[in-house]
Amino acid sequence: MPSATLLGQALISGVLAGGMYGLLAMGLSLSWGLLRLVNLSHFALAFLSAYIVYELGTNYHVEPWWSAAMVVPAMFCIGALQHWLFDRFKVNELASLLITFSFAVIVEAGIQLYWTADYRRYETEYSTLSFKTGPFYIPVLELTLCMVAGVLAWGTWLWLRKTYVGKALRAAAEDPEIAAAYGVDHKKLAYLLSGIGAAYAGVAGTFIALIATLAPAQIWAWLGVVFAVVIIGRLGNPLGALFAGMLIGASESIAMAVLSPAWAPVVSFSMLIAILLWDPDWI
Amino acid sequence: MADLLTVDGLSAGYGRAVVLSDIALRLGEGEALAVLGRNGVGKTTLIDSIVGVTRRFAGSLTLGGREITTLAPEARAMLGIGWVPQERNIFRSLTVEENITAVARPGPWTTDRVFALFPRLKERRRQAGSSLSGGEQQMLAIGRALATNPRLLLLDEPTEGLAPIIVEELLAALSKLFRSEGLSGIIVEQHAQKILPITDRALILERGRVVHQSASAELLADATPLERFLGVTGR
Repeated sequence: MPSATLLGQALISGVLAGGMYGLLAMGLSLSWGLLRLVNLSHFALAFLSAYIVYELGTNYHVEPWWSAAMVVPAMFCIGALQHWLFDRFKVNELASLLITFSFAVIVEAGIQLYWTADYRRYETEYSTLSFKTGPFYIPVLELTLCMVAGVLAWGTWLWLRKTYVGKALRAAAEDPEIAAAYGVDHKKLAYLLSGIGAAYAGVAGTFIALIATLAPAQIWAWLGVVFAVVIIGRLGNPLGALFAGMLIGASESIAMAVLSPAWAPVVSFSMLIAILLWDPDWI
Repeated sequence: MADLLTVDGLSAGYGRAVVLSDIALRLGEGEALAVLGRNGVGKTTLIDSIVGVTRRFAGSLTLGGREITTLAPEARAMLGIGWVPQERNIFRSLTVEENITAVARPGPWTTDRVFALFPRLKERRRQAGSSLSGGEQQMLAIGRALATNPRLLLLDEPTEGLAPIIVEELLAALSKLFRSEGLSGIIVEQHAQKILPITDRALILERGRVVHQSASAELLADATPLERFLGVTGR
């Protein structure tokens, strides 16, 4: 049995790593829950953002936070444009899965063409920065990621519940025809939401560039676990996505420390199956 | 009395099915109209056609002098059509208050005024729509439509399937809306005796056509048309 310090460190590292799951899950959850579109290209947009931040940082020496200020609005525009295509071709939930998968494959190919399949690492002054609290080490980048994810999740949750636009979006997600008959222009709102989801991919991509090693095939590395996070956190619920991400991150990390790294994926998917067996209407 | 709504030569239905044929009607500002008829004669189709969710084959509609024939439902709603659908269709995942505020537009009907009209809704303001009883859902459906501050309120069988005590409560509220507040409205009902006392005029539909139009008071005084077309008396 590992020591209490090791378990505590595993818990902290897991929660912080889960922040990335939550951040990636948020945009996917909004799009799936409120637009009924399963947007697999979310992962591709996150990695495209990561590569752009890497490119700007390594070749043009642009600070990552300035790169984010350019990448995030650009992703918002791509998200809105994507929705224009979905709307134009009347893409439904199932078709969205296939179309966005294709889009992700194209982006992956584009990344490989430009940046090659080599592993790339963006080393910055923040990469290894950490501080110590008691016996535990806290990595500054991961902590920043969690704080940013927390602010975005909380802000989005409040926006969906307290503003006219947010409530109208939730009403339109439940019954678009009835919402339209009450004057809710759900098409315009859908552009906004699609843009916000993609912008979150841009935020996630900035942190991916700073934390992870980049390779085109990595686009798919988090697909399974993030889908589990989206469902465990409940569709359309940004706070749920963040909490679920941290829960799975912590569980994976503890499983790795107590059992072996091979058990990590078993934990998240067992959790997903258990929740769906307990409440089949959970989604 | 100036016309608020005009419907001329309207033929409409769903898909290829023509349900309404050559419907013509006028509704004045502040007027309440009862639409009566047996099951399946096209009452709901008439309401749905004014809302804009049916297929129109011929005819035209105006609201406040403005042509709305080709406008989408959301544009018609913005011009002042408030709809209480037969199935109520409240947003089940939203709270009672959110159901109202999600569609609310500026005007005299604020959330507080809706709660004053239906105090039960105020008591349940933080409950999910899905947790309400049938009568409360109907109150919410009416309150939600009022919160859009409509010029014309369309109610499709508002008392259907409700307990008598709730029906009385709803009719009292509708009477207040049409009699005291002067709101214009069209109420579809199968049970004439419930709504004739709170409306100004009534029309009877039979197989998608208007077969009778008169003042509601006339129908209450002489129920012959009701007996003929609905097989019931007005009392």
